[in-house]
Amino acid sequence: MANKTVKVSKTTRRLVVHENIAAYLFMLPFLVFFVMFVLYPMFMCVYTSFFDANMGVADDVFIGFDNYKELFNDPIFWKGLWNTLIIVLVSVPVTCVFSLWVASAITKMPVAATSAFRCIFYLPVVTGSVAVTVVWKWMFSKFNGIINAMGTSMGLLDKNIDWLGDERFALACIILILLTTSVGQPIVLYVSALDNVDKSLVEAAEVDGATPKQAFWKIKWPQMMPTTLYILVITTINSFQCFALIQLLTSGGPNNSTMTIMYYIYYNAFKLYRYGYGNAMGVILALIIALLSAVQFKVGQEK
Amino acid sequence: MKKLIAMLLALVMVLGLCACTVTNNSTPATDAPVVDAPADDATEAPAAPAATTEITLWTYPIGGWGNQETVDALMADFEAATGIKVTVEYLDYTNGDDKVNTAIEGGSAPDLIMEGPERLVANWGAKGLMVDLSDLIDDTDVAEINPAALNACYGEGGAVYEYPLVMTAHCMAINKTVFEAADALQYLNEETHTWNSVEDFWKAVDAVYAYTGSQVGSVFCGGQGGDQGTRAIVNNLNGGTFTNAEHTEYTWDSAENVAALQALVDCEGIEFDAGIVGGDEIAYFYQGQLNMAFCWNIAQQLNPNTADTGAGLTVSGDEILFMAFPSDATPQLCGGIWGFGIFDNGDEAKIEAAKTFIKYMCDSEATADAVKAANYFAVRDTAEGADLSGIWADNEIMNEYNKLMPMLGDYYQVTTGWAEARTAWWNMLQAVGSGEDVATAVATWAATANGQ
Repeated sequence: MANKTVKVSKTTRRLVVHENIAAYLFMLPFLVFFVMFVLYPMFMCVYTSFFDANMGVADDVFIGFDNYKELFNDPIFWKGLWNTLIIVLVSVPVTCVFSLWVASAITKMPVAATSAFRCIFYLPVVTGSVAVTVVWKWMFSKFNGIINAMGTSMGLLDKNIDWLGDERFALACIILILLTTSVGQPIVLYVSALDNVDKSLVEAAEVDGATPKQAFWKIKWPQMMPTTLYILVITTINSFQCFALIQLLTSGGPNNSTMTIMYYIYYNAFKLYRYGYGNAMGVILALIIALLSAVQFKVGQEK
Repeated sequence: MKKLIAMLLALVMVLGLCACTVTNNSTPATDAPVVDAPADDATEAPAAPAATTEITLWTYPIGGWGNQETVDALMADFEAATGIKVTVEYLDYTNGDDKVNTAIEGGSAPDLIMEGPERLVANWGAKGLMVDLSDLIDDTDVAEINPAALNACYGEGGAVYEYPLVMTAHCMAINKTVFEAADALQYLNEETHTWNSVEDFWKAVDAVYAYTGSQVGSVFCGGQGGDQGTRAIVNNLNGGTFTNAEHTEYTWDSAENVAALQALVDCEGIEFDAGIVGGDEIAYFYQGQLNMAFCWNIAQQLNPNTADTGAGLTVSGDEILFMAFPSDATPQLCGGIWGFGIFDNGDEAKIEAAKTFIKYMCDSEATADAVKAANYFAVRDTAEGADLSGIWADNEIMNEYNKLMPMLGDYYQVTTGWAEARTAWWNMLQAVGSGEDVATAVATWAATANGQ
């Protein structure tokens, strides 16, 4: 009896080992890509930020924290950081509130209408960012843009405005475009979250005399918190990483009024070939995003 | 235990991949078939068919050299003549630099690249990434090649990092039909494509502005695209320069340039537009939104616009007249000089094959076809006895445009810190355009360009 027990145990252990090996083998392709394209570049980013790394045959020179010291004294970096924060502070709340409002409105509609609106709001997400940007560029054009045409024809504008070339308006235009491309996914997520709210709890609350507002804030909202937290985090990260719009529309101008950290990283690394300096900025940006995400998670979990 | 196994597996895979990389890198260069023709022989004539060698060429869209059909025909002829197979990749000016730089960092730069001295000489050449092509240039070549074009191909220490093939002069253009209607053609010489004087240029702008009531020209400064046009208009108006003659310092903070910028700011018909770049300006000019374009060259003059109204016409059929920039002296036009450079990939066989390619395209009987493919002008009059001066004899527009070529000015794009200086330039224009004091903005950004 004792021998039999030992035999079973060995077989089980062998099976477990085999299963583990198989599992690791299945994970291997992802692991390889993760190491090659995530961990290794992350390590190199931090490592290179301590070097005067430029493209060329000469070896990179170790300069310690000099890149970090330089960037903290770089007014364009601070301008980029400030602009990035403005984008985040405006676009994240607006995206969340607008998405929630749209999702709440369309979930009350018939199924076909809900699907149709979901598709409409999701279209900018699946449309290529270059195509979207080109259309917006035309709309904002000083010479033949539809916004100027409408403004002047309705008497709102005396003369055509160079929306993307005027530092008073350029950042606002960028944020507006960013919003149109950012709300699609949160709307879809909120619609799903609202669908998944336990209807029996809502009905029970209504039977107990809760108003629709009370039912929303006391019953639905707490159940949607994980979705809200996810939306907050991805919208924050996307806003921090706003690059394509800047690259295609303003190149950070005019007068750095639309400069963001992401674009400044690209500019230093790929236009000036200052890889070390660009990577130092990348490290700072990653730390800021990590810090904000941690705060969002903490606050979200507490709620 | 699980963590240990996971770590081991990851380590094995990474080491395995490293091993693969090492194996690839350590492949002896001698594995590649050696081209028979040595460099010295290559300078005489295209090499005879040799063992098949494969080289790669990356080309920016330099006229027809960005067109696969055109380039395929050239490559087929080259392979038939030399036995060397060329694989071509096409770059664009938006992402081309990123692609090349990524390839350089990854150790997979192409063997050959086609572009101008600002990249081949001032950038990659200065960084020691290019092969010195001095052995391809003999006294005959020096005598035959346009001196300004050849000078631009020399890097520090006399090394040649570009073998030039074609050149053009960047100019400006006006809507001749509108100028005629505004009675502004009296201020210019249609025959020579020059302005009577700088004063007459301002009179012409005023006349067209008064006639149309809308913006005539744009100092575009949304980015660096087409910025040679804004540099040229500013430099020519008062005889200023962008750099010193030695190409060691940016001189656009001179009194001449400040005065020119102030005059542009004060001109009602011209506005500073931070929302557009050179390509946009060309589009607006084609569409008739602007009646003057500062970003122009023969490629724009020849290319039918999107409405396909024909060469030298706007979308509404107005006639386009290309012009030199306004100057009271001889206009100094920015040049475009394009040719080939070789990346030093450490493979002598491929370097020799690439040199054979260069001599075939740039200095042989095949050069006429290579030049015509680019739709620009040859940098030399003859190539191995073949006369290149008349290759555009059958093209009226090219012949007419040839009048601008003697106005080709200093090729200053090889000055150290070019990338920073270009950015500083359009940032300066943006500052000026947004109302900042011209002298202050110019001084600030010129200092940035000079690394101060």
